[in-house]
Amino acid sequence: MIPKVPAWNRLRRRLTLTNLNSAVPLGLVFMALTVGMGIQLPARAMAAAAPPEAETAKAPEAAAWSAPDQVDAQKRAQEVVPFVAEVRDECKLCRQQRLRDEGLGVKDQSHSYLLLDSPIIKRTEDRYGPVRFMHSKHATITQDCALCHHFRPADESASETVRCSACHQDAFRQDHPERIGLKAAYHQQCIACHEEMAKGPVGCIGCHQKNAPDHKDLVQLPANPEPSQVTSECLRCHESAGKDMLSSAHWLWKGPSPFTLDHRKAVHHGKATTAVNNF
Amino acid sequence: MGISRRNFFKILSVAGAATATARTPARAWESQAPSEAYGCIVDLTRCIGCRKCEQACNEVNKLPPPDRSFEDLTVLDRKRRPDEKTFTVVNRYYSGRIDERDQLIPTFVKLQCMHCQDPACASACIVGALSKQENGAVNYDVSKCIGCRYCMVACPFEIPAYEYHDPITPRVMKCTFCYERVANEGKLPGCAEICPVEAITFGRRDTLLKVARDRIKENPGRYVDHIYGEHEAGGTSWMYLSAQPFEKLGFVTLPDHPMPRLAETIQHSLYSYLWSPIVLFGMLSGIMWAFRGKGERQEDHEGGNL
Repeated sequence: MIPKVPAWNRLRRRLTLTNLNSAVPLGLVFMALTVGMGIQLPARAMAAAAPPEAETAKAPEAAAWSAPDQVDAQKRAQEVVPFVAEVRDECKLCRQQRLRDEGLGVKDQSHSYLLLDSPIIKRTEDRYGPVRFMHSKHATITQDCALCHHFRPADESASETVRCSACHQDAFRQDHPERIGLKAAYHQQCIACHEEMAKGPVGCIGCHQKNAPDHKDLVQLPANPEPSQVTSECLRCHESAGKDMLSSAHWLWKGPSPFTLDHRKAVHHGKATTAVNNF
Repeated sequence: MGISRRNFFKILSVAGAATATARTPARAWESQAPSEAYGCIVDLTRCIGCRKCEQACNEVNKLPPPDRSFEDLTVLDRKRRPDEKTFTVVNRYYSGRIDERDQLIPTFVKLQCMHCQDPACASACIVGALSKQENGAVNYDVSKCIGCRYCMVACPFEIPAYEYHDPITPRVMKCTFCYERVANEGKLPGCAEICPVEAITFGRRDTLLKVARDRIKENPGRYVDHIYGEHEAGGTSWMYLSAQPFEKLGFVTLPDHPMPRLAETIQHSLYSYLWSPIVLFGMLSGIMWAFRGKGERQEDHEGGNL
């Protein structure tokens, strides 16, 4: 596109000079643009000439696009690192002070986003989805690495901070009965801190997405179901969801809210009154 | 009168001697606790009351679905007991302790069979349907059970429940310590495996005791200096650590000696070598022998009258 720029400038100057009195400059603009594009044409032709198999293979990948940091986090969550058996015995205050002395802090983190998930946990159960953990956000708010990275490996050559799953792996290890497992380490750390700071979720679905079973086989519907059939099929299992619906604003809505227009309480429309789909 | 004073004392002294000789060989009561029993430590300071253990227990033991969902935490509003459909329940207690925002701090207590080292239920069971296994579980064998429910009376923790609703094949129901899973599949008990905060620690009982003592030693402010189940009722496979005194959390105060000790000592010393029935029947036959002539004479006398 580089050769286009002076041409474009010239054209613009001419445009202003001729005061838009002719179609010629517009034609020139178009020509200049096509020339500009023409520079890239061979490359495109090359791409088009590539075997069609490659194109079709690429297509689903493009459809299931996910953010690069998410892919990185997923890859990292699948890694199982060697177990750190020995840690340096050091009190929390000493550790905080030492990190400060060594100039290590929030700025040194290598991963800003992590997925808390591991094959170690999946070995025993799989009820909930992984937790998306904003590492940098937590670090920035707490300003204290030692809150979570509470010990360092005894090995001097090891990194100052290691991931949780380096020290916490399987629960109830015979050789380290005092060391809690990875799942417990996550939960104890997160919940205790969230409770202490009165900030952040402490329940299951505050952090996790629940693994809903595949409804493909659960739902039993005819080929072309009526809308009411679909609703009743959902209600077959989710009975309370139907009752909840009946007490929600979606159902109870009866025209304008008394808090808006002139504080009127007139009932005009609404699911429970005049709407058609009142299954 | 056929029995003379001399004869009567003879019989008495024989009986007394028999008692004295029989008492000496009766062995002192010995614990049958397995040496390599598994157990669990429930750390009540860790439990968050999520009821996942109840859910896992229900699934692992294929128990009937609950009346209310396991995610419904309002169930905790009232105290529950394990029953024939639930082997374990979590109860919530407020001990009056508050946090810095003046909120009451709850303590959650998981209840299940304690799997005593010397179980009273197994001692009371007259057919051996309940037995303490080498791996620590108090196992129930439904094929032996006759439904007498002595175990329910004997249990100091009031755990065994009975399927009263089933008139044909009722069973005694209680926590199995996931015996099959632990012994044959090498897995963990369902509740210990699922616990998200490792409030339940599974392991060998002696190791667990060491772990528990270490926890108390390292966090003296966090725990009361007592491992419930270390000595209670002679020791149990399930043990508890707590921040609150155990009496406040619905735990029964029990003596340190095993429940079966007294009953079995009496029973075993009475029945060793069958000495007591022998003495009893010996005395009875002695009395009969002593009175042997009296009835006949009475009859004769009466006959004479007629």
